Amino acid sequence: MRSWFYAFVSAAAVALAALTANLVWSELRPENVWGLVYGSVAAALLVAASALGVRRRTMKASSRLGAGRTRAWLDFHIYGSLLFLLLLLMHSGFSVPTGRITWWLWALSLWTVATGLVGRLLQKWLPRVLASGLATEVLYERIPELVEEIGSRAKTVAESSDEAVRALYDRMLAPALGRPRRRWIYFVDVTGGIQSRLKEFGYLRALLPDEEKTRLDELERLFRAKLEIDAHYTLQQPLRWWLYSHLPASFVVLALLVLHLYTVLFY
Amino acid sequence: MSETDPVDLDKTTLRRLEQFRDRWTSDDTDSGLLEISDRLTADEMRKFEIFSEYDDNFLEKISPDVSLATWSEGAVLFEEGTYIDLAFLVVEGEVELYLTGVEGAVASRRPIFDLSRTVIGDPADTPTATEPGTALMRRATRVAPTRITLLATMDFDLPRGAAVRLGAGEILGEIGSMSGWPQSVTARTVTECRLLQLRAPALRLMKRKSKALKQRLDTLYRERSLATQLKSTPVFAACNDIFVEALKEKVELVSCDPGEEVVRAGEEADAFYVVRSGFLKLTQSVGEGEIVVSYLSKGMSLGEVELLIDEVGNWQVGATSVEFAELVKVPKDVFEQLIGNYPKIEEQLWRSAADRVREAGFSRRNIAHAEFTEVALETGLVQGNSILAIDLTACTRCDDCVRACAATHSGRSRFVREGSKIENLLIAKSCYHCRDPVCLVGCPTGAIHRAGVGDVVAVDEEICIGCSNCGRNCPYDAIVMHEAGEVWPQDMVPQGLRGKDRLVASKCDLCCDTGHGPACVSNCPQGCAYRVGSLEEFQGLLEARA
Repeated sequence: MRSWFYAFVSAAAVALAALTANLVWSELRPENVWGLVYGSVAAALLVAASALGVRRRTMKASSRLGAGRTRAWLDFHIYGSLLFLLLLLMHSGFSVPTGRITWWLWALSLWTVATGLVGRLLQKWLPRVLASGLATEVLYERIPELVEEIGSRAKTVAESSDEAVRALYDRMLAPALGRPRRRWIYFVDVTGGIQSRLKEFGYLRALLPDEEKTRLDELERLFRAKLEIDAHYTLQQPLRWWLYSHLPASFVVLALLVLHLYTVLFY
Repeated sequence: MSETDPVDLDKTTLRRLEQFRDRWTSDDTDSGLLEISDRLTADEMRKFEIFSEYDDNFLEKISPDVSLATWSEGAVLFEEGTYIDLAFLVVEGEVELYLTGVEGAVASRRPIFDLSRTVIGDPADTPTATEPGTALMRRATRVAPTRITLLATMDFDLPRGAAVRLGAGEILGEIGSMSGWPQSVTARTVTECRLLQLRAPALRLMKRKSKALKQRLDTLYRERSLATQLKSTPVFAACNDIFVEALKEKVELVSCDPGEEVVRAGEEADAFYVVRSGFLKLTQSVGEGEIVVSYLSKGMSLGEVELLIDEVGNWQVGATSVEFAELVKVPKDVFEQLIGNYPKIEEQLWRSAADRVREAGFSRRNIAHAEFTEVALETGLVQGNSILAIDLTACTRCDDCVRACAATHSGRSRFVREGSKIENLLIAKSCYHCRDPVCLVGCPTGAIHRAGVGDVVAVDEEICIGCSNCGRNCPYDAIVMHEAGEVWPQDMVPQGLRGKDRLVASKCDLCCDTGHGPACVSNCPQGCAYRVGSLEEFQGLLEARA
């Protein structure tokens, strides 16, 4: 990771040195030699950075061919994209292009890099949040199935309980256990304020005979598990969904790049 | 030998014949194997003395795992350091067994045991203690290859460079094949040989059914290996050959089941124990509860404190077998004779006793350390040669590790990204490739096996009958059964399988036959999937990721 960072800093320094030389000896324009070099390198970097997608979709072949660790590809994807952005801006003379294709190419490139950076921040932040206060680890795809299982087990326990426990179940648990729920609070407090939500169990426990206490404990355990699953549901979702803001735009950028190259080379 | 014209056989029988041949010949077509028999009948098998006391049904049952082979002169049957699941009985000819003369051969072999737990330093080589108790978690990096304790891997008591020849009626390879440990010698045919080849499942069943065979194998073990094994432990290394020869007749070989209490704290200490294989958990009472103060693994000993200090006399710790364990029990009087004859050993044992006391004290003062040791024992971390650990603070739950595994193994992942958590590390439900793989025990066809050199445990799907024994035996839920998409033929043996859907055991094989490392690790985009080979590595990872 660190070596990629140093490589990026070095490459960025070279690019900025070139920019300085360019400003001293020539104009900053996309169509002169300087501008064409920036554009060509930027295009090459864009294509190379997008190879991460190919690497991730050809795992078997990549492993067999000794294509290296995906982690290295991701590092190149990130730093290569940042360098691409710098060179793109240098290529466009740090101004907004006026042509229709070039404008879209420029704007979507910025969008793709920006969403990529947001995704990276989410990837750095959310796993730490998930690991910080949750005892359970669940697979995102299995969440609906697990919630259903918890709901039916809680219902069975409640049905065999006395009126007080059943009332608590009907009022507080049944609505909460029905389906996976997203709650914004998990972004701030991964426990979802669980202690305050469990207070009612404590009050009721003091009034119950031993047998009912056991049932209440079981309901509390299930409720706790459901809240943790909700936390996973809430926090794992952005880790998947940010890609929808990044990937389609990146495909369009690649297509526009081809179109841009075609127009430059043949018109 | 049954000579059958293939034309007379139906399709299923031909396939079974093919499977039988494949079982014996798939490893190497250029190995010096000149001829291999078809499946032997009970009558054919009974011609060999080793099968004489078994009935027809039993011989029919084990026959798929028995073959008669002719090997050319100079053929290598197995090499030092390799895993095989075969024992050979010499019918005709001579086989030579030898240890590689080059010291480096041993040094380069990857040890399959925990170095830091198998070596007790001698006075000249004792690592300087940093903090009491930390020795437990510290990798003994300064250990020279010659200090490696190869308990339970020795088939023959041979000095390096020497050789021994075995002739008709003698058996070889049985310890390695039964225990799943690598062979300690290389075996090569001196002349053209006819060998009866017994795979581990057959040998195990035969040993269980016949007391005479068990006694014969135990005797062979005492004759061939025990002296070397004892000499290779730090405790007995300094003893002269005469003493060790006498000692091996007096010690008791003890086998423990999982959870079996070996010694109880407070009871009179009547023996000294050396661990041959497996793990012992050492516990002490604290208040009304019990804490794990330490554990013993291969090559380590128990009883120094109790037998050396006169005033102690009773066991200071309780010792319980974690999984299956094999111990050497040295009676108290023999132990006293030992330290009487060898003052240097006594000195070394005093040092070991002091370490044990210090370690116990450290655990009592640091409950977190005791808890980690207990969790490590409970979750099998001490067992694993390659545990898949995922750093949850970096894992984005993208499941690329699972997809990579599936992509490498015909669309079916060999592990689940679920499991127990230790701090922020997830121990995925994936094969640990244990030091003592209990999944190997009880496989009726030997489909689950050590895959060549190294520590990989793999399943040969061609000969797996889907009995689930391995899955049931695995304490870590790392083996699952999946449908192979075919139905067993109507002449299948065992009969119970006929017409049923074929199941196959599925488990991580570390991508050993793909030519690259584990796909789950190399395809993780966040670099948060690790393969951990020892408790020390695991603790190092915990510290690094904290």
